[in-house]
Amino acid sequence: MTRGPADLVLALGNDLLGDDAAGPLAARTLASRYRDRVAIVESGEAGLALLELIEGRRRVLILDSIRSGAFPPGTVREMAPESFRGVLAPSPHYAGLPEVLALGRRLGSEMPGELRVLSIEVEDPFTIREALSPAVASAMPRFVEAAAGILDDWLAASAGR
Amino acid sequence: MDTRRITVDPITRLEGHGKIDIFLDERGDVERAFFQVPELRGFEVFSVGRPAEDMPQITSRICGVCPTAHHMAATKALDALYSVEPTPTARKVRELVYNAFMLEDHALHVYVLGGPDFIVGPDAPPSLRNVSGVIAKVGADAGRRVISMRRRLRELIGRIGGKAIHPVLGLPGGVAKGVSPEDLPAFRALADEAVDFARFTLRVFRDLVLGNDAYLRMITAEAYTHRTYSMGMVDARNRVDFYDGDLRVVDPEGSEYAKFPAHRYLDFVAEHVEPWSYVKFCYLKPVGWKGFVDGRDSGVYSVAPMARLNASEGMATEEAQAAHDELYAALGPKPVHYTLANHWARVVEMVQAAERIRDLLADPEIAGADLRNLPTAVPRVGVGAVEAPRGTLFHHYETDGDGRIVRANLIVATQGNSARMAMGVEKAAKEMIRGGEVREGLLNRVEMAFRAYDPCHGCATHSLPGQVPLVLRILDRAGRVIDEIRR
Repeated sequence: MTRGPADLVLALGNDLLGDDAAGPLAARTLASRYRDRVAIVESGEAGLALLELIEGRRRVLILDSIRSGAFPPGTVREMAPESFRGVLAPSPHYAGLPEVLALGRRLGSEMPGELRVLSIEVEDPFTIREALSPAVASAMPRFVEAAAGILDDWLAASAGR
Repeated sequence: MDTRRITVDPITRLEGHGKIDIFLDERGDVERAFFQVPELRGFEVFSVGRPAEDMPQITSRICGVCPTAHHMAATKALDALYSVEPTPTARKVRELVYNAFMLEDHALHVYVLGGPDFIVGPDAPPSLRNVSGVIAKVGADAGRRVISMRRRLRELIGRIGGKAIHPVLGLPGGVAKGVSPEDLPAFRALADEAVDFARFTLRVFRDLVLGNDAYLRMITAEAYTHRTYSMGMVDARNRVDFYDGDLRVVDPEGSEYAKFPAHRYLDFVAEHVEPWSYVKFCYLKPVGWKGFVDGRDSGVYSVAPMARLNASEGMATEEAQAAHDELYAALGPKPVHYTLANHWARVVEMVQAAERIRDLLADPEIAGADLRNLPTAVPRVGVGAVEAPRGTLFHHYETDGDGRIVRANLIVATQGNSARMAMGVEKAAKEMIRGGEVREGLLNRVEMAFRAYDPCHGCATHSLPGQVPLVLRILDRAGRVIDEIRR
């Protein structure tokens, strides 16, 4: 399937769910900067739907909001994909990243050679509204720049190849 | 011994996605179990003042799991609001899209969720009880077939209705786009494959599950049985219909208790509130709320696949009817009250959805050009209902004369099963914990009590992959953690 650039930014979140919009909003800023060089996809889905989105890509950067409670809202962190444990979720729609990757490999799908996950700690991803909470809103530039740093490295590596 | 509290706490990226507190009495037996889930806030506030025509888009964007169900319920509520019927072609296009959605959503559940419980087996080690374990059992070819079928069904939905996750198909009185005649050959070929795929799934289920006495004993175990009312949508012949029809309710013995059009839902469905849960528990209003108990005198009812089959007098298509008869021959008579039978009923429904797709595409009218009846009435109140994969879904809007929302109410499918799920969790916990002894496999057996319903909680659905560890904590009366088990 031809879907443009080999590298993908996959922004997970729902732009109608308060802070859950952080990923998609960051993706829109990145889209204006990296148009044509990186594929940028927003998705409110999870689990198996992710397999369809990431298969065939060379490198994938996932942007997502997280509410761990362990960090102040607005904290931007890179998380190792291996840190997401493969567990049986309460619904297939919550199928985990390790499961999706393992399934893809098992089915012989082409899985990304590199997969990185950037998260932003959020405050309220439960209220239906089109606004971020203040701490998250003020951290958005940091979130975007952290993602841009990864993309710039990728593009530089490709150019120098 | 102190009363102890055992907490089963799946911590997801959306903290508190679901949590189970189990309270033990002084003998170490289960006194009560509470199944808690978070709830989305602000839907009504968000809706008020918006044009009613935006609701199919807004409600489908709220939920990443059943966008098409919300889209269709909202579209039907708009038909009612503007007192306009869709054209015959528009109705068939909607049904085609809706059945494609039902099939792909059910397939996901059967292979990814029901799969670990049934295809791999409830007592398999956790490392195998996932989708990879399912593939190991059914084979990689079958796995690729599942993924491919699902993707192509979503492409069909997208081709007609816009992106599968954000459909833009429904308009009051019709649809925005029809099926183009050039697409018909490819769609018909896909439909034939879909029917084969549904037959294949039925075979997989039959061979792996029904050939195993241990599974059958588990399905029919008292721990997973609740004798409640059942609700589901039926057509004019009382056959299962996912898209349109009256709601039919049968009592725990299977006799018709009520049959009503969607707009009368408030006469039959009421919501009970408990201090420990955000979820409003649906019950039959004329029967009344008598607590978390089953039986004819309790208003608790169930929705979703098994309830839909129970509430009907059969399936609308031929092969699905045969599959339906096979289910009741093994587990019947009607109604079947085994929660775990939902997995089987879901496969029966996949057969009907596939056959409906095939039959709708064989009808020349599906590619007609008359796509919309223009609304002319002044809007006021509209109620629409569909059978979501997870059960009956109601959308209810009231507007001012300009069609702006002044009141919006949703009864989502999972609410219809929320009382039964709470009962199921408690019953399973009682079975697994006796005299302070926690039997092996507690987490899984308790989860199985609600997984069979394919619950979709809070409609806050996408999750950063994998962050769903389960934690079982045992707390003493003072709230101190005296034991903790992680998976």
